[in-house]
This record gives sequence, C-alpha cells and structure tokens, in this order.
Amino acid sequence: MKYLTEFRSGEYARSLAHELAGLVEPGEQVKIMEVCGGHTHAIYRHGLEDLVPTEVEFVHGPGCPVCVIPMGRVDDAIALAERPEVVFATFGDMMRVPGARGSLLEAKARGADVRMVYSPLDALELARRHPDREVVFFAIGFETTAPATAVTLLRARAEQIDNFSVFCNHVTIAPPLRAILETPGLRLDAFLAPGHVSTVTGTRVYDFIASDYARPVVVTGFEPLDILQAVGMVLRQLREGRCMVENQYTRAVRDDGNPQALAALAETMRLRESFEWRGLGPIPFSGLRLAPAFAAWDAEHRFELPGARVADPQACQCAEVLVGAIKPPECRVFGTACTPERPLGTCMVSSEGACAAYYSYGRLGRGRAAQPV
Amino acid sequence: MSSPGVPCLTCADAATLGSVISVAEREATVETAAGLQRVAIELVAPVRPGELLLCHAGVALSRVSAP
Repeated sequence: MKYLTEFRSGEYARSLAHELAGLVEPGEQVKIMEVCGGHTHAIYRHGLEDLVPTEVEFVHGPGCPVCVIPMGRVDDAIALAERPEVVFATFGDMMRVPGARGSLLEAKARGADVRMVYSPLDALELARRHPDREVVFFAIGFETTAPATAVTLLRARAEQIDNFSVFCNHVTIAPPLRAILETPGLRLDAFLAPGHVSTVTGTRVYDFIASDYARPVVVTGFEPLDILQAVGMVLRQLREGRCMVENQYTRAVRDDGNPQALAALAETMRLRESFEWRGLGPIPFSGLRLAPAFAAWDAEHRFELPGARVADPQACQCAEVLVGAIKPPECRVFGTACTPERPLGTCMVSSEGACAAYYSYGRLGRGRAAQPV
Repeated sequence: MSSPGVPCLTCADAATLGSVISVAEREATVETAAGLQRVAIELVAPVRPGELLLCHAGVALSRVSAP
C-alpha cells in the first residue's frame, strides 16, 4: 500500500543508519524519549535499536494509554460492570489490566456482562440493540482515541439514545510531558512526539518543550524509516545547537491538527482539574471528563462509583519505567512475577507497553556491540 | 485483545492507513492492510473514493497526502 511499503525499505534503512552514524560523536550519549507506545512497539518490532548508533538510547515514554490508567479507575470500571443492568463495553487490552479487585476479564468470568469492542461506535450499536440494558463504554486513550468517543457522543445525542453512557478516562499528551521534564535528575536530550495524536492536536502543542525546556522535538510516523529519519532530525538539531519542533510526519500531520476533531472534543469534553496517572501521580488539567451538556451520557453522573485511590503494587516499578528512569528488565519483577500472561503492572499488559515490547521481542541482555550495518 | 508481538488495534493510540473504496452518508468503507473496514468520516468530511485516511477506533482522523 502507498505510504507503507516505501517506508519499510531495508535498503533505505541501512542507508539512513549509515547517515545517523555520522551525526554523533564517538562516546557521547544521546537520550531520546519516544513518547508514544506505538513508537516503542515499532522500535522493537523492526529492531531499530540495532540500527541507530550505540551513542543513541531510546527512553520509553508514557504514551501507552492502557499503561497509564490507575488501579482505582479499573476498580471503578469493575464496579460498573458488575451492576446487573449494565453491559460494559471496553477495548480488549483494558480487560486484562489489574485493579485492586482483579481485572475486567475476571469480573466477566464471575458473570459480569463485559464485551470487547473495537470502537465506541460499536458500544453505541450495542445500546441500540439492547434498549432494556444500560451500555457503558470504558473510554481510554489520548487525543487519538478521544475524537472517536466525541463522535459517538454526538451521534448518541442526535439519536437520543438514552441507555448509553461513557466512563471517561481520556487523557491529554502535553501535561505528562511537562511533568516528566520537571522530574528532578531526569536526563533527556530530545523527544520523538506521537504522530497520530498530532494528527488531532497539531504540532504547536509541543512548542513549550523547545521554548521552556530547550529540548528538540520531532513529530514522527510509525514506520521504521519514519523513526530513523526522525532520529536523524533530532541529532541534526542537537549537533547544530537548535531546539525546535519539527514535523517528520508531514503526510498526515498539519501544524493546526484536525480542526473538526478539535471542535468535536471541545463540544463534548472538558479538562478535569486533576487526573491520576499510573506512575506519574495526579497531574493538573491532564484528563478529560464529559461536558455538562453531555451529563445525560456521563457514567460518572448516572452511576455511583467507589472512586477510591489505590496505590500501585509495591513490587511493581511501572512508575520508573513510565518516566524512563529504568529500563523494563531492570524492574525487580520483570519476566518473573510479571509476564504478559500474568501482568502485575500495566506496562506488561498492552503490546504497546514498554515491558511487553521488551518481553515479546527478546531485548533481554542483547548486546549492542554488533551493528548489522 | 492483542497477542505478544501483535500491535493492539483496539486500544492502542495508533491508527491504520485505509484507502477509501466507497462513501455512504457519514461512513466510508476503506481498504486497509487487514481488509475492509467501515469508518465514520464526520471528522474528515468530505471524503472521496481513492483518498487515503488514517483511521482509529472506527473513526477517520486524518487525510494522508503527499507533503
């Protein structure tokens, strides 16, 4: 398919790798955070760590939407799912995320009516088909996913479907990046910004990283050549002493994003004063709730929720993984008490989680000495 | 639910490239690497057959074109 195959060319990848080698000084260390879990997955899937110079280290950011949901919100979801009148619709990976009371999958095994959907529009269709039930959609994700929820809410209102509601856990990308940049002692040289979030937000949302924190940012796509080219753009900025937001993913991302999607979000959702992130704690104005005009479709208005804050398991070091302070294998339970089959922390649940990517692609103890180029 | 090694297409904040095959009111049928999908097009309308769209969670998010 156009824009896919040409961005997976091994020949160009090797050529880019040679180019990258000339953009670093021997012995220097460059830490680049790839913010998005999709990038983390692509880096491991395509073996890109072995194509960039050994001086470049990828640090895995907080951009996996599953990984950042705190246990208390999972418990709230389970409480909703266990209500006898509720059909609880969720994306697949959220079914395995452990809360203090187990997971949605375990709640389903106990008899809760939990259904996996691919789109919030599928949940709305469930509501149309089951007018005698209350269908609740577990909305998670960044600005990439939130517009789908917004479209669904607008359709629910237009059709006056009143047995549908949304348990909103959408989050925004900029506040956690600021929180990470404020972390004492953290050393990051640059960021690869998420391409698909940026199709909605545009590129200006990252300006503060360059202007306030003097770090280069490159918005990039998800194919291997996208990421390698973006690493080159980062290295050139560093080499030339520049700090700016550059857009590698120009075929999909415009500077002002998608105005129609932003308008749908503005109509249906509002920023929360604070939202808790797994591993990062409460971050001001980082989460979204439904707008007052959509209270009739807001599960938090329609149902009573426990709303308890639950601390992460002590053994789990997702918090340090999510801010890039440690690599997944450095976690004390990685691959032992915590595996993709039985995840203890959320970074092991989603395939976009840094721990699951490490585990799945055999990054355990792999030496960096041999470069294939 | 995703398997190890397979990108999560449901919850992941990733999007899928699809070529528009047909358009009907507020939805389009797109051909992706994984087959045909129906997606809502309110956020990118108007849409024409042959155009490339980035789609996520059943909704088209962006039009893809030569920079």
